[in-house]
Amino acid sequence: MLRRYRLSFVAVAFAWCLASAWALPEAVCQEVVAEAAAAPAAAKAPSLAETIDTRFGVVVGYMASVLFWEPVQAIPIPLIVLILLCGSVFFTIYFGFLNIRGFKHAIDITRGRYDNPNDPGEISHFQALTSALSATVGLGNIAGVAVAIQTGGPGAVIWMMLIGLFGMTAKFNECTLAQVYRKVHPDGTVDGGPMYYLEIGLQQRGIPFLLAKAFGLVFALFCIGGSFGGGNMFQANQATSAIRGMVGSAFGVTSGRIDWAIGAVLAFLVGLVIIGGIRRIGQVTEKIIPLMCGIYVLAGLVILAMRADQIPAAAALIVRSCVSPEAAFGGFIGVLVQGIKRAVFSNEAGVGSAAIAHAAAKTDEPVREGMVAMLGPFIDTVVICTMTALVVIVSGAYAEPAAGEGVEMTRWAFAETFSWFPIVLNISVFLFAYSTMISWSYYGEKAWQYLFGKSREAVISYRVIFLGFIILGAVASLQNVIDFSDLMILSMAFPNVIGGIILAPRVKTMLKDYWARYQSNEFTTYR
Amino acid sequence: MPLSASCVIVPIDFSEESPRAIAAALQFVDSDTHLHLIHVMPPLETMSPGFIMGNLTDDIRRQRVQEALGELAAASNASDATLAVAIGTPGLEIADYARAQAADLIVIPSHGYQGVKRLFLGSVAERVLRHAPCNVYVVRRSDAE
Repeated sequence: MLRRYRLSFVAVAFAWCLASAWALPEAVCQEVVAEAAAAPAAAKAPSLAETIDTRFGVVVGYMASVLFWEPVQAIPIPLIVLILLCGSVFFTIYFGFLNIRGFKHAIDITRGRYDNPNDPGEISHFQALTSALSATVGLGNIAGVAVAIQTGGPGAVIWMMLIGLFGMTAKFNECTLAQVYRKVHPDGTVDGGPMYYLEIGLQQRGIPFLLAKAFGLVFALFCIGGSFGGGNMFQANQATSAIRGMVGSAFGVTSGRIDWAIGAVLAFLVGLVIIGGIRRIGQVTEKIIPLMCGIYVLAGLVILAMRADQIPAAAALIVRSCVSPEAAFGGFIGVLVQGIKRAVFSNEAGVGSAAIAHAAAKTDEPVREGMVAMLGPFIDTVVICTMTALVVIVSGAYAEPAAGEGVEMTRWAFAETFSWFPIVLNISVFLFAYSTMISWSYYGEKAWQYLFGKSREAVISYRVIFLGFIILGAVASLQNVIDFSDLMILSMAFPNVIGGIILAPRVKTMLKDYWARYQSNEFTTYR
Repeated sequence: MPLSASCVIVPIDFSEESPRAIAAALQFVDSDTHLHLIHVMPPLETMSPGFIMGNLTDDIRRQRVQEALGELAAASNASDATLAVAIGTPGLEIADYARAQAADLIVIPSHGYQGVKRLFLGSVAERVLRHAPCNVYVVRRSDAE
């Protein structure tokens, strides 16, 4: 009977979830509203945006209490951060510091040395890396770093860098696995990623079918959530902030109604690509992103060169803040947690999202793609994030209340030296946000396909919901958006890191074999 | 049930059931020239890197599937079958193709999807059954529940 009425069943379940999501916070909000009403000189009735934001915040609060549970009461480390930290360290040691010894080879592979056009897959190694980078390089590098320093102090930078380095091997593991357990269709398209390798790989390792399937399902659900959160709302939120800053100062508007308009425009522009299928936009964006990256890094380097005398002091401050931070930042653990959160949010190592893109690379050697993937966290965190952090600290923006929060702080930091830079930064922020949203819509859609298939109805429904979240992200407050984004993206690591550790022995065997063949020059080179 | 049908459609999903479906279909025809093997591909994701960077076009995909269908046909004693490729939702495309070819019969395996997808989508066979313009012969899976 379930099968016959399956669509109605699904529709009713979905409607019930929506209704409770609306009604539940209502009950909690009653209290808040009653308090506000009792206060003298009460503020005007909350706007629709504020109401949405408040309810959203309540839902996020409940989810956070579950997903960010701290296993040891005395130490305020959420379980998920602990898993990510231990996982990355484990992988690095288990694979013999591959992030260092395999670095040069990774560069060779990415440059196309071993590119065979007849290998199964959709895209080249280089294209897979740029695709994954276009998802990770974004506001995490510009705004996220500022947020880390704001909430965790300068010491958070050390943890960001460390996770960047150790995360390289976590990326290696997940992208190699994605290649091993991918499905290549007769038409040349590829389906791959953690949902597939967890379900299939864990079963092969002897885990019961239902449990392995649960791993895949849970990952897919969080991946979809991540594609609405960090890959979407956070980007929309910060892009709106950037645009509002530009347009607002020109027209004297500060916030409120303009956010809806910006959100709608953003949704429209993203819709042109994901629903309209206009390839040109994606192609142009792919070309511009590396250019904007280059300008950003160049500007940062120039600022650092100009203030070279302040760098040792900044470095000392960073180290001091890491080892004995101020109480306001939550102590040593607080700094550690912030640094790790923002680094993982930025480079997605251990999260498993990039594995979906890397699964589509053309190769018959899974290990090769894993090595290419390692370069992602390096470029993203060790290079770009660290540079942003140094600029923010050296310019004094982190201690300056007028600098603002998130992207505004970074903008202030650069404007200190280059007064015209904010315009460039705003454009970069917009472009990075745009490309991240498009890339993450791909990850989310692949996860959605894993659950609901590839029919036109399934695909269109995902894309429409995705666009809806863009508008929500533009309107919601930064804190709620960050919390939700963190929740979803970091939670992807639960099944991914745990499953990845269980599957690591297979990867290690493959790596040993590959490395031996590499060292005895067995590989055909094409360039 | 026509034992010498002039046009039998066999939807192919390249699973283990496909060769069995072809074998079952061959029972209904005098020669394999009356068979049509059709594979329906889902539409390409508009934001997939392969699509955006231009490596993957629908033409390239069609070509590859034609080759794969040809190999499958040769391996299943149906080398003279007509090969067709469509893009869209499997159930509807198969039914449309059958209508266009004025088919006598569609021979389709029963369980293509498994698990969660089955819960939400039902099977392609059910869809075809509902929309088909002709008789439908459903080949049960060898390990059917």
